[in-house]
Amino acid sequence: MENEENKNHNMKGMNHNMRNMNHKEHNHSEPVEDREIRDWKKKLIGSWIFAIPIAILMILMRFFEINIVNEQISIIILLVLGFPVVFIFGFSTLKSGLTGLFRFYFNMDSLISLGTIIAYLTGILTFFMEISDYSGVAAMIMAIFITGKYIEAKARGRATQEIKKLLELGAKNARVLRGKNEIEIPISEVAVGDIIIVKPGEKIPTDGIVFKGESSVDESMVTGESLPTDKTKGSNVIGATINQDGILYVKVTKIGKDTFLAHIIELVEEAQGTKVPIQKLADKITSFFVPAIIILSILTFAGWWYFNGEVGRSLGVAISVLVIACPCALGLAVPIALTVGSGIGAKRGILIRKGEAIQTMKEIKIIVFDKTGTITKGKPEVKDIFSKVKESYMMELAGSLEKLSEHPLSKAIVDKASLKRYKEVKGFKVLRGRGVEGKIGNKKIIIGNSLLMKENGIFLKSFSERIEEYEDKGCTTVIVSENAKVLGIIGIADAVKEDSAKAVNYLNSKGYRTVMITGDNERTAKAIAKEVGIKEVIANVLPEDKAKRVIELQKTSMVAFIGDGINDAPALKQANVGIAMGTGTDIAIEAGDLVLVRGNLRGVVAAINLSKATFSKIKQNLFWAFAYNVVAIPLAVAGVLHPIIAEIAMAASSITVVTNANLLRRKRI
Amino acid sequence: MTKKIKINIEGMHCASCAGNIERSLKKVQGVKEVTVSVIGKKAFVEADEKVSDEELKKAVARTGYKVISID
Repeated sequence: MENEENKNHNMKGMNHNMRNMNHKEHNHSEPVEDREIRDWKKKLIGSWIFAIPIAILMILMRFFEINIVNEQISIIILLVLGFPVVFIFGFSTLKSGLTGLFRFYFNMDSLISLGTIIAYLTGILTFFMEISDYSGVAAMIMAIFITGKYIEAKARGRATQEIKKLLELGAKNARVLRGKNEIEIPISEVAVGDIIIVKPGEKIPTDGIVFKGESSVDESMVTGESLPTDKTKGSNVIGATINQDGILYVKVTKIGKDTFLAHIIELVEEAQGTKVPIQKLADKITSFFVPAIIILSILTFAGWWYFNGEVGRSLGVAISVLVIACPCALGLAVPIALTVGSGIGAKRGILIRKGEAIQTMKEIKIIVFDKTGTITKGKPEVKDIFSKVKESYMMELAGSLEKLSEHPLSKAIVDKASLKRYKEVKGFKVLRGRGVEGKIGNKKIIIGNSLLMKENGIFLKSFSERIEEYEDKGCTTVIVSENAKVLGIIGIADAVKEDSAKAVNYLNSKGYRTVMITGDNERTAKAIAKEVGIKEVIANVLPEDKAKRVIELQKTSMVAFIGDGINDAPALKQANVGIAMGTGTDIAIEAGDLVLVRGNLRGVVAAINLSKATFSKIKQNLFWAFAYNVVAIPLAVAGVLHPIIAEIAMAASSITVVTNANLLRRKRI
Repeated sequence: MTKKIKINIEGMHCASCAGNIERSLKKVQGVKEVTVSVIGKKAFVEADEKVSDEELKKAVARTGYKVISID
C-alpha cells in the first residue's frame, strides 16, 4: 500500500518535473532508478529464500549422494521450490525475454528465459522419459541472474551519482518580495521578473541579475571554479550556487528548463547517449548477438546429442551456452565508462557533449587557441595614447565613432574616452576586421588598424615607430585619422588570464604543437604568444577565416580548436575536437564537442586528461567484454562449464564492466 | 521543421534492449535521429513535427518496454 502510494507520488513528480527541473522531489531519473534497485532487492531476497534450500538439496544429492527422500520426490521438491524463483521472482525477466523472442526483438532476458524455462521443463520431463533433471539449476540460474542485476543496478547508480547530484542541486523554495512583504514560495511558482532575496549561506534559487546588495558566491558546484565570485549590482548569478556573506536581491531572469543548471543537466544526459566510434563493432555484435547465441545453443545441443547421445547432458550444455553469453557487458562497456567520465567532468565544469571527441582527443597533435577571450581575458583596456593633436580632441572623435560599434576594442576606447556627450556621426560603417569610418561634421574620420590606413592611402610616417613599440608590448594599436591625416594612436591591451601560461607550458611539455590564431597583427600577437609560451602564431586572420586556417592545419594532423564559442563557432565545428570556453554564466553550448563552463586554460588541460582517461577505460572495458565472451562461449560449447558456473560467470562479467568504469573516479585529472 | 523529443523508458536494463528500441524508433516514419542511453534510460529522438507522441510510444511498446513520459 505504502509502496503504491510512493509510486503514484513519483509518477506525479515526474510529470511535474517535465516543466520544472529544479525541484528536488520532482526529479524523474532518481526515483526510477531507486525503485529499480528496490525491486531487484525484493526479488533478490525472495528468490534466495527458495534458492538456498534448493542449493542445499542439490549439494547433498550431487556431491554426497545423500537422498533424504527418493529421487522422484526430491525432484518434486525442487520443482515446487523452484517455481516461485523462476516464475514469480523471475516474472518480469521472463515477460521481457519472451515478448522479445516472439516479436523478434531479442534481448538479454530472452537468453535467460530460454535457459531457465528449458531447464525447469527437464524436471517435469523426468516423469515421462530418461533425462537429467535441471529444475534446481533453473532456479539457481534465475536467483544468480537477479543477484547480478541487483549488484549491477547499484553499481550503475554509483556511475550516475554526479548527474544525480546535479539534479538534486536545485533549490526547492524561494523567498520572493511581494509588495513590501517577503514570502516564501515553492520554486515552481517563481516567475521571471520576480525579486528574490537570498540571505548569507542560502542557495540562490534560480538564475538572475543582482538588483541590490553585494556578496561573494560559491559557484563551484556548477562551474567547478573553487574560488568564490564577487557579485554586485548587475552581476549575473546562477541558480543552485551558494550566497556566502551578504544579502542579495536578485531579479529573476530564467526559471525551470531555461536555467543554466537545467541546461547543463540536459547536456550531460544527452551526451550519455552519444556514440564513441570505437563502440561500433560492439554495437553491431550486440544487435545480432542474442539470435546468434540461440542458434549456437541449438547447434550445440544437436552436436552433443549426435556425438554423445545423452539428451540430458546435451541439454545441460546447451543451457550453459544460453546463459553464459553476455551481450550486456559488451553493450554496457562504452556507455557506462562515458557516463562516469562525463559525470566526473560535469563536477569540474567540463561538459562532454559528444562521445566521439573522447576518442578523437587521443589523435590530436595540434592545439589551436583563439587569442581574445581564450588566452586573454577578453576585456581589452586602453593602456597608452599618443597623439599629435590635443588628446581630448582625438578621444572625443574616437569615442563618438566607436560608441556605435560593438567590437571589444571599441568598448575599450569608449570607456577610456568616457564622454559626457557624443558628437553626431554620419555615414557610419563597420569595416570588419579592420576598423570603423564615419563623418563628424564635414570631416571624414577613419579609425582602425594599419591595413585600413594603407587601403585608404593614409601614411603613418613618424607614427610607425611608436606603433611597433606598442605592438612589442602586446598592445593592439588603433590609429585615428581625420581627413586622411593621422591624429594619433591608441594602444589597447587585453591582459592574459592568470593560468594561461601554466596550461600552455604543460601542453608544450606533452608534445602538442600549440598555435595561437588572432585577428591582431603579427607583432602584437607574437608578444602575447611569447608571454604565455605559444610557439606559433597565425596573425591577421579575419574572424570568418579562422575555420579555413584550421583546415590548413588539418592537412598535417588532427587539430583541437579552443575558442569562446560565440565568435568562433565555425572554427570549433571544423576542428577535430572543438573546445568551447564559457564565461561562467553564459556558455555557447551548441558550439563545442567539449564545453568548459568556466573559461580558463587549466580546464583545457583537465578536459584533455579526462578524455584520455575515459577513453582508456572504454578500451579496457571493451577488451574485457570481448575477451570474456570469446573465452567463455567456446568453453560452454565444449561442455566444460556447468550451467550454474556459466551463470555466475555471466553475472560477474557485467558487474566487472560497471565496476571498472567506476574506478575512473580514482584517476587524478 | 524537426523537433527534439526526450522519452523516458522503464524496464530498459540491457544493451540489447537499447539497440532494439533504437531500431524500432528508427522505423517510425519521419524519425531522423535516435540515440538511446541505457544508463539514463532515455531515448533522444529527432523527428519531423508531424510525428506524434503516440507513434513513438507504440514503437517503444513494440519492443516490450514502457514509456514513462515524453518530453
